[in-house]
Amino acid sequence: MFSARLSDIPRTTSFRLALLFLGMGGAGAAILFGFLYIETAGFLARDVDNGLVREIAVRAPKSAAELERLLNERAPLDPEVRRPFALFDSTGAWLAGAPANLPRPLSAFDQPFDLTLPLHGKMVSYRGILHRLDSGELLLAAQEMTYINRFQDLLAGAMFSGGLVVLVVGLAGGMVLGARAVGRIDSVIRAIERIIDGNLSERLPRDSRGGDLDRLVQVVNRMLDEIERLMNEVKGVTENIAHDLRTPLTRLLAGLERARRRDTSADEYAAAIDDAIAETKGLLTTFNALLRIAEIEAGARRAGFKQLDLSMVAMDVGDFYEPMAERKGVSLSVEDGTASVTQITCDPNLLFEAIANLVENAIKFTPPGGHVTLRTVAHGQRVGVEVTDTGPGIPEGERAAVLRRFHRVDKSRNAPGCGLGLSLVAAVAKLHGLDFVIEDANPGCRVSLWHADAAGIAAGRTEPSSELADESPPKAQARLA
Amino acid sequence: MLATALCNDGAGMTRVLVIEDDGRTAAEIAAALGDHGFDVECAYTGRDGLLKATGEKYDAIVLDRMLPGDLDGLGVLATLRTIGNETPVLILSALSEVDERVRGLRAGGDDYLTKPFESIELTARLEVLIRRRSMPERETTLRLGDLRVDLLTREVRRAGRVVELLPREYRLLEYLMRHAGRLVTRTMLFEEVWGYHYDPQTNVIDVHIGRLRRKLEEGGLPQMIHTVRGSGYVLRAAE
Repeated sequence: MFSARLSDIPRTTSFRLALLFLGMGGAGAAILFGFLYIETAGFLARDVDNGLVREIAVRAPKSAAELERLLNERAPLDPEVRRPFALFDSTGAWLAGAPANLPRPLSAFDQPFDLTLPLHGKMVSYRGILHRLDSGELLLAAQEMTYINRFQDLLAGAMFSGGLVVLVVGLAGGMVLGARAVGRIDSVIRAIERIIDGNLSERLPRDSRGGDLDRLVQVVNRMLDEIERLMNEVKGVTENIAHDLRTPLTRLLAGLERARRRDTSADEYAAAIDDAIAETKGLLTTFNALLRIAEIEAGARRAGFKQLDLSMVAMDVGDFYEPMAERKGVSLSVEDGTASVTQITCDPNLLFEAIANLVENAIKFTPPGGHVTLRTVAHGQRVGVEVTDTGPGIPEGERAAVLRRFHRVDKSRNAPGCGLGLSLVAAVAKLHGLDFVIEDANPGCRVSLWHADAAGIAAGRTEPSSELADESPPKAQARLA
Repeated sequence: MLATALCNDGAGMTRVLVIEDDGRTAAEIAAALGDHGFDVECAYTGRDGLLKATGEKYDAIVLDRMLPGDLDGLGVLATLRTIGNETPVLILSALSEVDERVRGLRAGGDDYLTKPFESIELTARLEVLIRRRSMPERETTLRLGDLRVDLLTREVRRAGRVVELLPREYRLLEYLMRHAGRLVTRTMLFEEVWGYHYDPQTNVIDVHIGRLRRKLEEGGLPQMIHTVRGSGYVLRAAE
């Protein structure tokens, strides 16, 4: 339904632009040609007039008799009657020269004027001048104008046909441009229709020649990439939620059914209820975590922001988790790698929660005998915290994915936890404008949160943490602001 | 076992006013508090709640942050504090208004709980609030059975023997001592001892308590810190 129809072409911008340029060019050419024509015609007419004036001036001093002789001698030399001379007596009767009638009524003397003379039975147009001799006779000098007129006609004709060619070529060019634009737009529209029909992987066709439309297409394609990514993320989250919530719900249901089926004692009932409560609490916890992440991501929570020493929060987290690490046989060390006080503006509760999540993850995935380091670091204007462990690390391909809700690296499917920790860290990082970087620590994993102040952003980062640079940048590494 | 509701002035039940516009939530809160031995009264608008709170004497008020009409939770709270009513107020708020915690506490609230919450968390916090008001702060020694905590020297003795505690463990113990005999939830401990506000959803607190417990029970002394399944801990004098 969107083929390039001929009737669409005049409505295209390209065609209208072509038409506009054609009109402007045509008007310019017409003005130029008109000016040329008028100037040329004027020049020729003046040339003729000057010639006539000179002819009269040469002959005026001569006597009538002498003129009569001269004109009679000259007449046979001009059989075409291109430049006739004639002498009339004071009454207007022809005396000598080319056979001509004195034009009536007499116009001003010594002033060039247009006249027509009969020649071979035709009226031919001449330019003439009349002079009255001292003796009263009238001398007429004339110049045939046919050639000059023909030249002017030729000039006008050439201009007209040239204009016609320009018009045709311009219109044709406009049509071609318009048709191309219509075709291009149509192909884009067809692609968009396919996307609307649900084929989200479809992209708008690119044009190798570039151009304005192509720039637009590029931007739209980038937007489509982002939309597709978000759609997939939402889809993945939905699937994960369904999957992760089905298991505890099934357990809950099974426990309750078991309690009903059996002839249970009061104690067993109480135990069944306790189990059900525990499962329900777990479910509620998961939902609360989801809502919290959504709320933090919405960025509405800023009332709790204050100036705070980053290393103090890190110390508190380390202090909080030290017994847990010890119980697992993992050594947890807290180091302050900053020279001075590291004041940043943040929500202390959220920051603690984020760092706590990182430390808890590190302890969880580090085998006994391993080592987890929580360190505050300073690099130029930037400060941050990094958590390094000696665990299995996160495979490079998984690093962007671990930030998604419920995502768990396959190996850790059986580990406890709901898979929301890093999503929450990412949300907190985004709210605070922190860079969230996941790197290899060889062996193990290094996760860091960098506080970027204005100077830091301007200078750009130089740390060798570019493994993720090629991945979808907004989530994996780049600034989450 | 937990329903050891505090008897104010030693006479009558502890009276709590619940100001909550949603009838069902109010009824649930009233039922839960009633189970724990509180005498509950409900008000469903800010105006009504303010009238009741100023007209009668309550030991604590549970106040919903969002109330319909021209007087919302913070309005009620501000009015109460302006007229010099210092009844402890626990503010309830939906999760999406978690940002309001700061505002609520600034307006004179004593504690803050986000919905959905567990009734056991609400009652435990209310008991702490009510007790805080009636507890003299000038004590220098806390005693519970054979456990003695010197608040000035921070020396802890159990059965006459000094128990060496880390600063964090000392603060845990002090908090448990101040609320001896009452349920203290993990969240309450975390907020009080570490000073951060969120629900840690982890068993780290249990590990801390485990350490404290081992130190207190060293040498085969009987248990004092009792775990309440799924909720928190109670510190009791050894039998």
